[in-house]
Amino acid sequence: MTTTERATRKLTVSKAIVEAIATEMERDPAVFVLGEDIGKYGGVFGQTAGLLERFGSDRIVDTPISETAFIGAAVGAAIEGMRPIVELMFVDFFGVCMDQIYNHMAKIHFLSGGNVRVPLVLMTAVGGGYSDAAQHSQCLWATFAHLPGMKVVVPSSPEDAKGMMIAAVRDDNPVVYMFHKGIMGLSWMSKTSRALGPVPRDPYEVELGKAKVVRPGRDVSIVTLSLSVHHALDVADGLVSDGIDCEVVDLRSLVPLDTETVLESVTKTGRLIVVDEDYESFGLSGEIIARICERDPSVFKTPPARVCVPDGSLPYARPLEMAVLPTPERIRAAVVKMMRK
Amino acid sequence: MAEILFPAMSENDPEAEGVVSTWFVADGDEVQEGDLIAEVAVDKADMEIVAPQAGTISILVNEDQAVTQNSPIASIS
Repeated sequence: MTTTERATRKLTVSKAIVEAIATEMERDPAVFVLGEDIGKYGGVFGQTAGLLERFGSDRIVDTPISETAFIGAAVGAAIEGMRPIVELMFVDFFGVCMDQIYNHMAKIHFLSGGNVRVPLVLMTAVGGGYSDAAQHSQCLWATFAHLPGMKVVVPSSPEDAKGMMIAAVRDDNPVVYMFHKGIMGLSWMSKTSRALGPVPRDPYEVELGKAKVVRPGRDVSIVTLSLSVHHALDVADGLVSDGIDCEVVDLRSLVPLDTETVLESVTKTGRLIVVDEDYESFGLSGEIIARICERDPSVFKTPPARVCVPDGSLPYARPLEMAVLPTPERIRAAVVKMMRK
Repeated sequence: MAEILFPAMSENDPEAEGVVSTWFVADGDEVQEGDLIAEVAVDKADMEIVAPQAGTISILVNEDQAVTQNSPIASIS
């Protein structure tokens, strides 16, 4: 009897990221990883577990708490032909190293008249929901997306987490790769069943900048990304019995932003709700709504709505944090309210 | 048939209880030798469990159910 190797098996997002990084490190000796606690500790969220043992300390580099220095080192290495994956442990820490990110990493290609490339992946953990308070719970993706010169991508499933990391490493542009702590499938965080899913064994790329309709529906388009995709899918499942058929669009990427897929969806449903775990004002939700209005405001049967984090710092107290996050309850209420109009 | 035991992760406290935090396979799935089948945890330490042989897996404990070390969590036949 012969056994055929199955093409996929289930992994968590965390293990899918590890597999993607390992695959690229084996393929290309120019790929290496540096950051805080990514070596011996294996990444605070398991995203680099086992890589130090496999690839050694020359390619899996634990750094001191010195974000400007090691992100600057990664930018320099990328310019000189390496393909670094550099980790900013929590996106909330960007304030101490933003000059390296937006004045150097993001601008060198432009400033050099296109002669110098910076093929770097800046990997960082985002998101709240586990009482880590105002300085460790933000998403901030729109802050990076606002600044030209870098791609900004955020997977929501294990399959995309692997394919988008491989695509990010192979991309000649700087890519900010954000993962939500709540979808990593960690035993010590609150779990979502959607953090575990089938992942192809072979290497593959998921094109950066393409949104995905993860659940087709006819009544309302819920456009979102990251952990909120899991919530939106749960809400959509729950509303079937109420006769409401939600379409869920996983953006997967802010830069480039796949306006076409969103427009197609809203043209079909006539209703748009943007769910965004980032702050409400001056961000992704307003950008999505503006782009659809610019293309064709006649698609709306009813004014669009958004479910975001109100413009205030994230509370530590669990009931208060849950009151401001875009929870399934808030998403559901927004859908029901819109459908009653 | 191979029995899969919860590993002895806490040397100081052999009575310590742990949990299967994630099953990567479902009851009745076909697995191959070396496949990742579970992640287990005692306190905050995690450990991966891989299939010791190929076969059909029978799951004996649920996720997050308290299990003592060295007790069976699954079998492969």
